[in-house]
Amino acid sequence: MTSTACFIIVSRNDIPIYEAEVGSAAKREDAAQLHQFVLHAALDIVQDLAWTTSAMFLKAIDRFNDLVVSVYVTAGHTRFMLLHDSRNEDGIKSFFQEVHELYIKILLNPLYLPGSRITSSHFDTKVRALARKYL
Amino acid sequence: MGREVSESCIDSLLIEMVSTYCNRFYANKPELAARRIEAIGYQVGHQLSERYTMERPRFSDHLEAIKFICKDFWSELFKKQIDNLKTNHRGTFVLQDNRFRWLTRMSIDQSPENGASEDPSIMADEKAVESMHLYFPCGIIRGALSNLGIPCAVSADISNLPACSFVIRIKA
Repeated sequence: MTSTACFIIVSRNDIPIYEAEVGSAAKREDAAQLHQFVLHAALDIVQDLAWTTSAMFLKAIDRFNDLVVSVYVTAGHTRFMLLHDSRNEDGIKSFFQEVHELYIKILLNPLYLPGSRITSSHFDTKVRALARKYL
Repeated sequence: MGREVSESCIDSLLIEMVSTYCNRFYANKPELAARRIEAIGYQVGHQLSERYTMERPRFSDHLEAIKFICKDFWSELFKKQIDNLKTNHRGTFVLQDNRFRWLTRMSIDQSPENGASEDPSIMADEKAVESMHLYFPCGIIRGALSNLGIPCAVSADISNLPACSFVIRIKA
């Protein structure tokens, strides 16, 4: 089953520190830019919604055609945003939790400057593997 | 995540860190040594707060975050909670720990038999050394709160050992 999915991590200063197309569909050039645009446009909605609840997983917060944006916010106000077309909420929640653990491991690296881009290929491989597993 | 280290290793590491920074790296510049130690504490606090807030819901306001520091964060680090929390509701919090774990191994030589003329300088030196050891926990608290979105300044007060008070002043 092919699915489109675009995943980005946005730091507390609204700077994207990681992005990846993790869907299993064939990748099209224009689609990638569109996905990023939709995700960045959803940031305002996340800002408003994040202060209304103390939960970490904000479910689907925005729609675009048949694509849905889901967001997970950490205590340090780092946002994990996923643009997807599936309806598997539990799978997405588990995906976010596992990526959160990976993100904490990146933070524990003393040479990593918090808020800078995540360039580790190991992290990239792991995120893509998790996406294949849960999405 | 979550390997364990013996506590004596941590104690020795901290004592050696303070001693190295004060006596070898920045031998005659105690302010620089203090800043470096506090910066190390800031990074550690940043990482620890991210790790310890993973399982729990997010915080709705500053008081919730300070209470997290007093209870969960402190018990993860020192196996006990803060004994007393005071606030003036205008951005200043005082966290009092009646028996601060990292200072329990420090001697307080307050015997009055030392000659009266030497007493003030020796006491001042001891206080200076003890205050150096407190920059690290101050940095940890500051790093943890900054990660939770609360920029602040933290200072420590050791007027009566082994109790230790941390004063948190939230900026703006």
